[in-house]
This record gives sequence, structure tokens and C-alpha cells, in this order.
Amino acid sequence: MSTKTLNYDTTNAKSLLREVSERSSQNLSACYQCRRCAAGCPVGEETGVTPDRLIRMVVLGDREEALNNLLVWQCVACYTCGTRCPNNIQTARITETLKQMSKEAHLDPLRPRVADFHSSFMAAAEHVGRFNEIEGMGLYEAKTAIKELKKGDLQAVIDEMMGQAKLGMKMMKKKRMHFKVDKVKNVAEVKALYRKAKQGKGA
Amino acid sequence: MTMEMAYYPGCSLHASSQLYDIQCKMVFNNLGVALKEIEDWNCCGATAAAKTDDFLAIALPARNLGIADATGLPEIMIPCSSCYSRTLISQQRLSCDPEIKDAINAELGKKIDGKIKVSNILEVLRTKIDSGEIAAKAKKKLAGLNAACYYGCLLTRFPCDVQVSDDVENPQGMEIVCKALGAETVDWSYKTDCCGASASVNDAEESQLLMSRIFKDAIARGANCFISTCPLCQFNLDAYQDEVGKKYGIAERLPVYFITELIGLSMGFDPIEMQIDRHLTDAMPLLKELKLI
Ligand code: SF4
Ligand code: SF4
Ligand code: SF4
Ligand code: SF4
Repeated sequence: MSTKTLNYDTTNAKSLLREVSERSSQNLSACYQCRRCAAGCPVGEETGVTPDRLIRMVVLGDREEALNNLLVWQCVACYTCGTRCPNNIQTARITETLKQMSKEAHLDPLRPRVADFHSSFMAAAEHVGRFNEIEGMGLYEAKTAIKELKKGDLQAVIDEMMGQAKLGMKMMKKKRMHFKVDKVKNVAEVKALYRKAKQGKGA
Repeated sequence: MTMEMAYYPGCSLHASSQLYDIQCKMVFNNLGVALKEIEDWNCCGATAAAKTDDFLAIALPARNLGIADATGLPEIMIPCSSCYSRTLISQQRLSCDPEIKDAINAELGKKIDGKIKVSNILEVLRTKIDSGEIAAKAKKKLAGLNAACYYGCLLTRFPCDVQVSDDVENPQGMEIVCKALGAETVDWSYKTDCCGASASVNDAEESQLLMSRIFKDAIARGANCFISTCPLCQFNLDAYQDEVGKKYGIAERLPVYFITELIGLSMGFDPIEMQIDRHLTDAMPLLKELKLI
């Protein structure tokens, strides 16, 4: 786990805690650092940050650490921490909130591929109202490839494409690829919901 | 007597996991349940919506719930764990937040009234076990199968208060179905562990580590196959098993069966018609070896 010393920001701790608590609808103040969540978190070891630690960052007002750590990006939303927490704190909701806040603060995502994947998924799902695997993956691959190329990392692009192509070939062989695009007829209604979300009419 | 049940297949059952859609219809038909796919449904948004927009995460499944309510049927079955989870969470949230419900209903032709019961496939199967209907149709005993029943995350764990019909840490629904079919199951530690979900695509290293733990434990306990009820869990374990095995030095490969494949086999359905030959980790040899086909 991370042993980095966290900064106690006496002026901004309260407002950060309030913002994260409200947006995630989780009562972070209830956390008494028992670390039951930490024991069950499947990615705690690799990310170096467990849910209890993430909550601590927010409570102490260490905005920089809270918006910029690997758990925010690598939380797989398995809900183990929240199921086991004696105080019912769902850290997956907190990582979702922090991810959105980090985006709003225009921070570079620590795992850009995760961010690209979710936005590509949503773009593809919005387009015709249903998620089309080929379109979603296509958008995602394109976004990733452009970024890697900008970094001058041609090998990464080739590796990724080869990996995906291998899986694609395997799926073709087993007749698991479906090229017919499944559409929602009343896609206008679905788009209206997306529009409402963008206007911030939501929760 | 045939009864009708509303049915939400979700995107994966209309795409790469079409075989599961076919199997669900075959099995439930034979149990006297006509699955009525709800009209013009949209994608529930999966975890991507939750991670990008709180309103959409509620609103996308809500539209489907409105359509489902309008069918007048009492129950809707959702086989994909991710779709099931998102839909149940949405229904729960709508019931306790009239403001968001009104905001969404304002956009919908078919309004949500919140009446329909949202069930996963195991809940429906359990009632058919209890009533003896599965036993009555299960002609063939699936002797020799020793399954690691894999529930994954979303069947029993929710980010909010909803009624969970099975034990959260040690669910038994699939084991009960297996026993009714004459298949053995193993006790193991990773049945509700996460496979990494979409990390298999966007963070392969992490998801492969998580999957390697799942494979190792199942093998160490003597399982000869996995069982799943979720197209996403099934796909991950099925599609990446070879790659993960090579990377982590695991020699064995276990077929990953949908629960409907086992029920269908014991009902005497043709494995090719059920498309069991289309798995990415070969699922036919074990069945042949055990003389189940
Ligand atoms: S289990 Fe809950 S109370 Fe305990 S440390 Fe984790 S979040 Fe805090
Ligand atoms: S939901 Fe996220 S933080 Fe909680 S245990 Fe799972 S991966 Fe860890
Ligand atoms: S969760 Fe997946 S399968 Fe379910 S509707 Fe959404 S994209 Fe489709
Ligand atoms: S086990 Fe994997 S696919 Fe299944 S619910 Fe969990 S993350 Fe999703």
C-alpha cells in the first residue's frame, strides 16, 4: 500500500469532503479506517491505494492525491469493498465521482485507455441506441492509436492491433462476429436522455 | 401451461453472445415459459454510463423499464449480470427519487410505473427447480462434470440497497441447478471474485492477473469446467483463458459453459443447435470424453 504522507489541507478539507460525499452519495465521514474494504479489494495491491486510503485522502483534503491516483482509474467496480464495509461506504461510487472530477479539472487521466474505453462505449451506444461491439471497439482503437502515435510509440500500436486482430480472427472462426447493426427505432427518445444528461438535468 | 415473461437480452446477447440468447429461448420454451423480448429496447449503459454520467446510468435502463411496465407482464428476466444490475439499481433509485423519475418520464412515450419485477436468470431457474419442472424435463444426468460455478461481481453485489436473493459471499443458486442435473460442483474461493470486466480490453495486465487467480483456484480444487450465467463473465474467461494460461504458466484449459448449455444438454437438445461448438476455449471435447454428447 501507499506510504506516501498525505497533506492535510486545513482550509479546503471540508469543501472537498462535502463535494465528494454529495456527488457520490456516500458518507465518507463514517469511515473509521477498519480496512475491511482493503482486504477484499482485488486491485489494491497493484494500485498501491486501497479504498480506506482513498477516503483518507479526501477527508484530509489532499485534492491532488485524491484526483490523481491509480485506484481512481483501475477500480473495477466489483463492489466488494462496499458489500463488506460495516458503514456501507461504496468506494466504487467514490472512484466514479473522482474520475468525473478529475476530468472536469482537465487532469490527464493516469490510465487514458480506461477513459477512452468508457467514452467510446457511450458514443457507440448513443449513436444507434444499442452498443455495437465493432463500432465501440473501432472508436476506442482509433483513439488509443492516435495517442500512442503522438508519443511516437509505433510498437505499442502494432502490438495492440495485433492483439485485437488475433481475438477478432478467433471470433470470426467461431462465427461470433456479428456485422449487422442493431438499432433502436425510436433512437430520438434515447438521444433526448443523452441531451438531458448533457444539460446537467440529472442527479 | 405456457406462461409469458418479459425478456431483456441486452446488446451482448444480440451480438457476440447470440448463442446464449438462443439457448435461453430453447430452455425456457421447454419449461413452458415464453420469453417476450421487450420492444425497441436500448443499451442499459453498462458500467460505462456509471463511470461517465450519473443521470444516464439511471435514465438508460429506465426507458427499458417503462417499456417493460407497459407490457403488463409481472416479471422481466435479464440474463446478463451487468444489464440486470444496472436495471435493478435504476428501478430502486426511481422508486425513492420521484424528482428524477418525473424528469425521465417527461421524455418517455412509455412511462415507468415501477411495477415489474426484475429477475436474473438464476432466480427464475430456482423457481423451476423448486416446482420440480426442471427435474421433470432433465432426461440425461450430467455425470462427470465437476463445475466451478462462477458468479462474478454483479449478481450478488450492488452499490445500493437492493434485495439479493442469494448469499452474498457464498451464493448457491448455480450449485443447486447443477445438482438437479446430476453434475458435481467444487467449493472454491473465487466464485464471486472480479475478472476485471472491460479491463480485459483497456487494462489487460490487470484483468489478466485477476483472471489468473480465478483459473488457478478452480484448477487446484479439481474443477473440470466453469459455469456462468453472464455473457460478459463467460466471454472473459472463455476468450482470454489461453493467453492468461500461457502468461501465468497454467497448463489446463477449462471450458466455460453457460448454465443454459447444461440444462439444454440434460433436456436432450442438440449441442450444435445450441452452438456449444462456438466457444473460444473448446467446449466440446469434455462433453465427448464424458459421453454426454
Ligand atoms: S471498510 Fe468501510 S469503514 Fe472500514 S476502512 Fe473501508 S471504507 Fe472505511
Ligand atoms: S469496487 Fe473498486 S475499490 Fe472497491 S473493492 Fe472493487 S476494485 Fe476495489
Ligand atoms: S451491459 Fe452490455 S450487454 Fe447489457 S445492454 Fe449494456 S452493453 Fe448491452
Ligand atoms: S466477473 Fe467480470 S464480467 Fe462478471 S460481473 Fe464481474 S467484472 Fe463483470
